[in-house]
Amino acid sequence: MKAAIIANPISGKDIRRIVAHGSVFDNQEKVRMVRRILVGMKAAGVEEVLYMPEGYGIVPRALFDLDPHEIPASIEPVDVFLHMTQEDTVNSAALMEEAGVAVIVVMGGDGTSRAAASGARNTPILPLSTGTNNVFPVMIEATVAGLAAGVMASGGVSPAEGCYEASILEVLVDDEPRDIALIDVATYNDIFVASRAVWDITRVKQIFLSRCKPDSIGLSAIGGILESITPEEPRGLTITLDPAAPRRVRAPIGPGLFAEAGIGAVADMRPGEIVPVDLSPCILAVDGERELKVLEGQHAGVRISKDRLQVVDVERTMECARRKKLLGLCT
Amino acid sequence: MQQPDKKVLLDMYSTMTKIRLFETEVQKFFGEGLIPGFVHLALGEEASATGTCAALKPSDMITSTHRGHGHCIAKGGDPKLMMAEIFGKSTGYCKGKGGSMHIADFNLGILGANGIVGAGGPLAVGAAFSCQYKENGGVCACFFGDGASNQGTMQESLNFASAWKLPVIFVNENNGYGISCPTSKSMAITNISDRSAAYGIPGATVDGNDVMAVYEAVSEAAKHAREGKGPTLIECKTYRWRGHFEGDPCVYRDDKELKEWMAKEPIGRFKKTLLENKVATEAELEGLKKKAEEEIAAAVKFAKESPVPKVDALLEDVYA
Repeated sequence: MKAAIIANPISGKDIRRIVAHGSVFDNQEKVRMVRRILVGMKAAGVEEVLYMPEGYGIVPRALFDLDPHEIPASIEPVDVFLHMTQEDTVNSAALMEEAGVAVIVVMGGDGTSRAAASGARNTPILPLSTGTNNVFPVMIEATVAGLAAGVMASGGVSPAEGCYEASILEVLVDDEPRDIALIDVATYNDIFVASRAVWDITRVKQIFLSRCKPDSIGLSAIGGILESITPEEPRGLTITLDPAAPRRVRAPIGPGLFAEAGIGAVADMRPGEIVPVDLSPCILAVDGERELKVLEGQHAGVRISKDRLQVVDVERTMECARRKKLLGLCT
Repeated sequence: MQQPDKKVLLDMYSTMTKIRLFETEVQKFFGEGLIPGFVHLALGEEASATGTCAALKPSDMITSTHRGHGHCIAKGGDPKLMMAEIFGKSTGYCKGKGGSMHIADFNLGILGANGIVGAGGPLAVGAAFSCQYKENGGVCACFFGDGASNQGTMQESLNFASAWKLPVIFVNENNGYGISCPTSKSMAITNISDRSAAYGIPGATVDGNDVMAVYEAVSEAAKHAREGKGPTLIECKTYRWRGHFEGDPCVYRDDKELKEWMAKEPIGRFKKTLLENKVATEAELEGLKKKAEEEIAAAVKFAKESPVPKVDALLEDVYA
């Protein structure tokens, strides 16, 4: 079975390094992580890997210092025309799914995982954090991530055994599905996408969450103060922010950035139920990035999708592999 | 930050339009042999100049590059004096003796275009030091290209500015090529903003063809600088439609790449958003374009009708 890698060369570089205290995640570190992923995959028996080509050449650079015997025999790019935008991630993920990969390791932040999931809705993804606000991707040693992806790609651990199923949000404009979000959608009082990131809470009017917990970061941290929703729960939460509301919360909405928000109406979201966006015109931010324009007169809404996304749970996968005696036993 | 009001938005549209028209005229007259020397056009790069200068105060300063016409127009430079200078006429900014790469207007905070790649960095650092020393709250935006980012002068400037927490906004216009050399062959990284980490300063990469993305980033960088927090490095990913210089056959890049970038051109994108959101009507924007056309036509007329410098003026303004 094949595995795949998407490494976003632009993740971890947006304006939140100026308006907040985000780290610069340089691409050389991503190169080193890919080396460890490949070595991990090979250790689990993977011999075929597809990857997303991009301007920096993260995967080709990773191959420079690796012994051919310690990595999969075939490591090839998908045949995609590069626009140097997030479209490359969407298109590459779609091609990987078409090629029948068993799992896609996605290196980036929430936005990169969202783009990959948009392109490949039916393939398990293993999201590794190299971005800014990371709720969806995990911070875990890349060697172990490669091993976990590898045991799944090799068929030793099935998606049913090693994945959790995450709720996702769907955004509709004039009743047409236009985008998805893995964690949050926010209505943002602006007409420009501009530098994309969301950091000015006074311009956020509504938040729709697929999950939240108190140890989260980003807009879901606001919901996380009110209640906890696990990714597996088939429900979400919608919050209307009201600057005049007496109920107030203070939450970390960015790296090193706290914001105070007045909490208006709070309601559960049930799968399939469309919750209308109250603001028009506005920009809809998905997973912390301003993305979609809603023009005056257009009607937008957000719902918890009935479809779910399979996400590799590294701990669960490795535990299952151990039980099946797939790991590290020397004979 | 608050969304800028209508006047600011329409000014940005006008400025980008003016830069596009100005450069198109320079391209035409250079082709006709009416312009001496070299010209480096900023067609396609209108947003980075405009978004940056719109986020500054009139009293702030900029240092520019060899591709500096857009920067000067965006900071308020007079197209008549600019065009006359490019035509080599005595009415120009440098009395016709400097040409395209030496246009400056200290009264407007334009510390000069620069024929030396990477030479704007030290000037910006000096200007920013003057602001810090005088405690006047001023900042200096330093435009530089991807080629300049590899020059020692820029590394020294970034180091000095970060060590002294000087109010410099380093605005990198990464158009992918240093003359004919793609960045993939001249540096081991693709995002110049990564270098900010080496100097302990904030850095970010933005869509340099989105004027609002640039405006937002530079506004925040200016706020950061005015608060005494020091310099920032903002990388604007963009593309020049023309060659490095007029006459460059551009054999080092293909048409597909050019078309891809032309599809992301900044003025049409901005106009679409303004119209979609009823910030302005088609008639209003057409009126602004017409006004810009008249201004540039007047600049061309002024330049053409102005006299060339007299021979006996050759040694005037020579200091060394």
